[in-house]
Amino acid sequence: MMTGKEYIESLRKYKPRIYFMGRRIESVADDPISAPHVNAAAMTYELAHDPRYEEVMTAISHLTGEKINRFNHIHQSTEDLVKKVRMIRVLGQKTGSCFQRCVGCDAMNAIYITSYNIDKKYGTNYHERVREYIKFVQKNDLMPAGAMTDVKGDRSKRPSQQADKDMYVRVVEKREDGIVVRGAKAHITGVINSHEIIAMPTRALEVDDKDYAVAFAVPVDAEGVTMIFGRQTNDLRRLDGDMDCGNAKYATVGGEALVIFDDVFVPWERVFMCGEYDFAGELVEVFATFHRQNYGACKVGVADVLIGATANVAEMQGIAKASHVVDKITEMIHLAETCWCCTLACSYEGYKTPSGAYMPNPLLANVTKLNITRFPYEWSRIAQDITGGIVITLPSEKDYKNPETKQLIEKYIKGVAETPTEQRMRMIRLVENLSIGAELPESMHGAGSPQAQKIMIARRGNLEMKKELAKVIAGIKEDEHFKKMRGVSEKEFFAKLK
Amino acid sequence: MKIAVKYCGGCNPTYRREEIEEVLKKHFQIFYSGDSELLVCISGCKKGCAGEKAKGNFLHFDEKTDEEEILRRVNKKLSKEI
Ligand SMILES: Cc1cc2nc3c(=O)[nH]c(=O)nc-3n(C[C@H](O)[C@H](O)[C@H](O)COP(=O)(O)OP(=O)(O)OC[C@H]3O[C@@H](n4cnc5c(N)ncnc54)[C@H](O)[C@@H]3O)c2cc1C
Ligand code: SF4
Repeated sequence: MMTGKEYIESLRKYKPRIYFMGRRIESVADDPISAPHVNAAAMTYELAHDPRYEEVMTAISHLTGEKINRFNHIHQSTEDLVKKVRMIRVLGQKTGSCFQRCVGCDAMNAIYITSYNIDKKYGTNYHERVREYIKFVQKNDLMPAGAMTDVKGDRSKRPSQQADKDMYVRVVEKREDGIVVRGAKAHITGVINSHEIIAMPTRALEVDDKDYAVAFAVPVDAEGVTMIFGRQTNDLRRLDGDMDCGNAKYATVGGEALVIFDDVFVPWERVFMCGEYDFAGELVEVFATFHRQNYGACKVGVADVLIGATANVAEMQGIAKASHVVDKITEMIHLAETCWCCTLACSYEGYKTPSGAYMPNPLLANVTKLNITRFPYEWSRIAQDITGGIVITLPSEKDYKNPETKQLIEKYIKGVAETPTEQRMRMIRLVENLSIGAELPESMHGAGSPQAQKIMIARRGNLEMKKELAKVIAGIKEDEHFKKMRGVSEKEFFAKLK
Repeated sequence: MKIAVKYCGGCNPTYRREEIEEVLKKHFQIFYSGDSELLVCISGCKKGCAGEKAKGNFLHFDEKTDEEEILRRVNKKLSKEI
């Protein structure tokens, strides 16, 4: 297993083509825009070597028997599923950000499960390829990015119906030694500082969409791969020192890029689905289940930091004991722990798939994520309420460091006498970072927009059973247990009462 | 042929579990004791609580299954036993 330092060093060996604001990022490990995201991912490596976190951060590979980083593990029990979310919450707490590595973990688990099912139906050998690939990832302790979301063009049309056929990643050529793929994946977390990319289809497909039923893995610097790193609110503050960012070390959200595959060659041993359109929907559902499970953990870990920051600000501003503040901070904890309950529940209710790997309960995982599209807005609202208007009007670090204005800021931005002004400023910036900007839309759309969860909940909610329950209670359908308990039918029982 | 049926707790089933038993009842005699040649465990979802502690000759259903498939699986199990 690599340490954090070794991971950062390992990135220098790759030469991905990355653009940001009209220039190339030559070294993701060193560029001030990408370095904080690299640090957040490095924490996933570093904690694996800390005996205090070893139990959640590491696992024994069922493929090799070796000790590995849990992010590269194929879950072998519900206990593994629970340990995964415990690990993710801890990492949210340690980085106050997205540490990016779970998408690849989920991608590996999803293709492991689905490739087994494809092989069973079609006699293909994808599963063996997936196992070999995962061994390679585990042995080298690599970080693969998970690339599912296509750019999608006209959302009302399927891939094969698009005016531009490249709106979804597709196979443009099949060769003896492999395939050639074209298209683009959007919003790919941590991809610029990953070693590999695992691509999967983004939606259920039909027979005309066969060419779009493709899953594969390539190194980040494979020929033909270009990444355009996305802007975030306040991203250029990273160039202005370490105060204004709020979280200068680990940034906010994962750092997402548009990944373009311009006729990229993929050798057959890295192709995990090719044309089996009838399994695209399953792969999406399995991946989404894993990824939605995470959100009740990573966002809760980050909420732990925000709750702490809000409580610190309250103390620094002399309102910590006010009853409404105590109540509101308690409400933040309640909301966060509710999401935690959801993620634990879907993990404990997980089950073994035919491949032998375990997956979380899909209904509960979707409920988890749907809450995450709502509750972070509420806990952020409370954080902003308690912090005050200064959360968006605080003077800059440059003015704080300017000898002409420093004393004025020291005097007039002070809260309670015991807290140095700089500490109050840093805490307010942290609240700003965590409650305004990229963090909230990430909760909304990351792992799928709310409607995607609603569809899954509707599909798996067993409404028919609930309708039956209501009919029995309302006296429309016979209650078999009532009759046994009372020895007479409901009709007879109530007739006697009249 | 003695077939026993064991249900999970049924907290949040994804289908009507009784359908499996109804099919079995049509074709076999059903018992609710451990004294049987085949135990059919009926779980409401993939968590599979009904099958968790099952031992010996048993079959496990955890999703909606059509009559033909239920019979195919039961008969396969029973013929193996003979
Ligand atoms: C910070 C962040 C990180 C992410 N990381 C990753 C990652 O690592 N890997 C990855 O693969 N993806 C990632 N995603 C992508 C994420 O899964 C998508 O953002 C999400 O699925 C929504 O897709 P979209 O952004 O294209 O929005 P759209 O699909 O354009 O959705 C916008 C709205 O349109 C609605 N809509 C879309 N299609 C239809 C339709 N056919 N009919 C009716 N309504 C429709 C949606 O419900 C939504 O309300 C990330 C996203 C974010 C924001
Ligand atoms: S947002 Fe959460 S689940 Fe998604 S990659 Fe980041 S830490 Fe993982």
